[in-house]
Amino acid sequence: MFVNLSFLLQSMAWPLVLLLAWFLGERLHQTWQVPRVSSYVAVGLIASLANLPGLTAEVQGLSFLANIALSLLLFELGYRINLRWFRHNPWVLALGLVESVLTFALVYVAAGWFALETDVRLIIAALSISASPAGIVRVANELRSAGQVTERVMHLCAINCLVSVLALKLLVGYWTFSTSGDLTAAALGSVYALLISIAMGTLAGVIVPWLLRRPSTHERGVTVVFALAVVLLTTMSHGLMLSPLLAALIFGIVARERRVHLTNAQRGFGTAGDLLTLFLFVYIASLLDWASVGSGLLLGLVLIAVRTASKVGCSVAAARLSGSTERKGLLTGLALTPMSAFAILLIEQSRIYGFAPAAEVLALMAGMMLVQELFGPVVSQRSLMAAHETHVTQADGQITRSAL
Amino acid sequence: MPLETFKSSKPLTLGVELELQLVNSYDMDLSSSANDLLELLHRKPFPGVVTPEMTQSMIEVATDVHTEHGPLLAQLQTMRDTLVRAGDRLNIEIAGGGTHPFQRWFEQRIFSKPRFEELSGLYGYLAKQFTVFGQHVHVGCASADDALFLLHALNRYVPHFIALSASSPFSQGVDTLFDSARLNSVFAFPLSGRAPFVLRWDEFAEVYFTKMESTGVVKSMKDFYWDIRPKPEYGTIELRVCDTPLTVERAAGLACYLQALCRHLLERNEPPPEEDDYLVYTYNRFQACRFGLDGQMVNPKTRERISIREDILATLRLLQPHALALNAQAAMDEIERTAGRDFNHASYLRRRYAETGSVQGVVRASVDALRGGPG
Repeated sequence: MFVNLSFLLQSMAWPLVLLLAWFLGERLHQTWQVPRVSSYVAVGLIASLANLPGLTAEVQGLSFLANIALSLLLFELGYRINLRWFRHNPWVLALGLVESVLTFALVYVAAGWFALETDVRLIIAALSISASPAGIVRVANELRSAGQVTERVMHLCAINCLVSVLALKLLVGYWTFSTSGDLTAAALGSVYALLISIAMGTLAGVIVPWLLRRPSTHERGVTVVFALAVVLLTTMSHGLMLSPLLAALIFGIVARERRVHLTNAQRGFGTAGDLLTLFLFVYIASLLDWASVGSGLLLGLVLIAVRTASKVGCSVAAARLSGSTERKGLLTGLALTPMSAFAILLIEQSRIYGFAPAAEVLALMAGMMLVQELFGPVVSQRSLMAAHETHVTQADGQITRSAL
Repeated sequence: MPLETFKSSKPLTLGVELELQLVNSYDMDLSSSANDLLELLHRKPFPGVVTPEMTQSMIEVATDVHTEHGPLLAQLQTMRDTLVRAGDRLNIEIAGGGTHPFQRWFEQRIFSKPRFEELSGLYGYLAKQFTVFGQHVHVGCASADDALFLLHALNRYVPHFIALSASSPFSQGVDTLFDSARLNSVFAFPLSGRAPFVLRWDEFAEVYFTKMESTGVVKSMKDFYWDIRPKPEYGTIELRVCDTPLTVERAAGLACYLQALCRHLLERNEPPPEEDDYLVYTYNRFQACRFGLDGQMVNPKTRERISIREDILATLRLLQPHALALNAQAAMDEIERTAGRDFNHASYLRRRYAETGSVQGVVRASVDALRGGPG
């Protein structure tokens, strides 16, 4: 019987790489407490270096799957956002907005030292606002952390992502208008996309909880319905050329306001969520173009320094006013370091929708992404640990044994 | 170290301690946020005392010493408002209730204080199961012998306080069928239960306590988890069987019901307490925990069986003149409404569960109730 060997290898590559990533993630987490997502990224990077067959952005389905994985995480992040908190503590909202604008401005200025075009500098600045919801949510869940740093990181991350999408979409509109002079096309690509994405997320956030309220749905059913609704939003967004990430985030925020509670066990959409996250991080890392890393490394390091300084500075400045301490402010700023999946999928989406500078930006930021993807989650993890917001069940067990 | 001398205090003065739950606002699980909340609260003077407790998801507040219901309630309300406002600033919800309906004890973070670490080292999983929330009421006593007299004279009324305050029907995600599941956790501790029947302080301190101390089992009064225990350094007895109610109004009502009851008992018109009273003690206690106000208790003197609800309503009539003298009519009304019409907070939470179909909905109802919702 004839066996197509190259096809077989290609189809085996993905599951094997994912299995390897999972084992490595567990192993390194147990031995050195390395965040699992960092291991996934490392495996993805190596796979990309080895240029394994089948691991490319050209396979359409993979990018779509990654979008679903990230959308689920964004929904979860949105679900953790308490809009009432902003009313009781406007400083948190103000911090998020001011910090976003300042980060944009500083990164734009810093990118100017590298002889880049204005368009490109603006896009890099817009992407630098964002923090990685995937990295942050996964690390926080892994540590089961709770406290002011955790709460603030989640809320600031959501604000960052929202502002980043808004800024990028407006830039896309501006670029379309300035290159084609077609105002309708520009508006369709930006303002229209933003508004419809938000409207779709809101609509889902109202309808789905309403559906779930009618017959008293079992708690596990709630998770399944929410997950499927996120998938539906993602497919619709693709079809209508909208932002699936924005829609999912808004969906989570609105659904939260409707107060249908997800249960404990279903944080992170359970095992299916774990699987998708594993895939997401390996995939994102495998997109990295190693050829561009070297040339962009200096730019990347400078941008990381500027971005981190802005986030930490603002967070420390607002800490006491917003009811926390400078120490926790510092740790909050540091915990916002991860920035990868969201920015990459966002710019990748724009590229698919025909935004020409996207490819150039992706290449330029390769160095920055490499560092952030690998080490961002570690910084977040260590910050939450330093804030004493993690649950130390294991250590307790040791205390008990020694006392007996 | 011998037991310290019993400090005399003004009779019938009151102090209330409440252990409260800190809950996150997105899935209503317990939130290990005591450090953050205390940090914020310490920036301004707090209208009372606020202290960390065994786990990071619990804080304890205590009032000053009061003589009347009005000022006691006013302070409890001010403390509650201060706490809720601070919680709002930090996105932390605060709730009453004797248990958290679905927390998993193995996920609770123990507060990093040496005594708590010592306890958690000694008791292991029990220390974490001890993530239950109670109301403690102190009553001032003129002398140590008065304290021991009151402690034992109150034994027949302990089921009243359990049934009236019960607010912990859910534990680990299920309806336990108990109105107060919290007390079952307390019972797991080796030194819980009732105090030994000793009516003279010198005998209690020099014989009983000295013997206990020599066994090495206890070091101080803090090691006893009795339902009612004397507190020599305050000159009080401390009633510890109450679940933290969902509202501070109920908490103040319970405290003043105890105050009026003590005033009545100190007139010594009732038959004096005796060891045999305790024959029915654990049975009555179980009935109150399990069935709340619908439980059946046996009167230790007459051996008659009566529903706890009926016994409370009868006692309220008996306490009428004392309530007048203590200016506690509003508190008696609160207790009468609870026993006669509105029922305890355990029934309230069960009704919310039936409506919302989720334990998260139960916590949400507790959070709203503390903010000034229904009784």
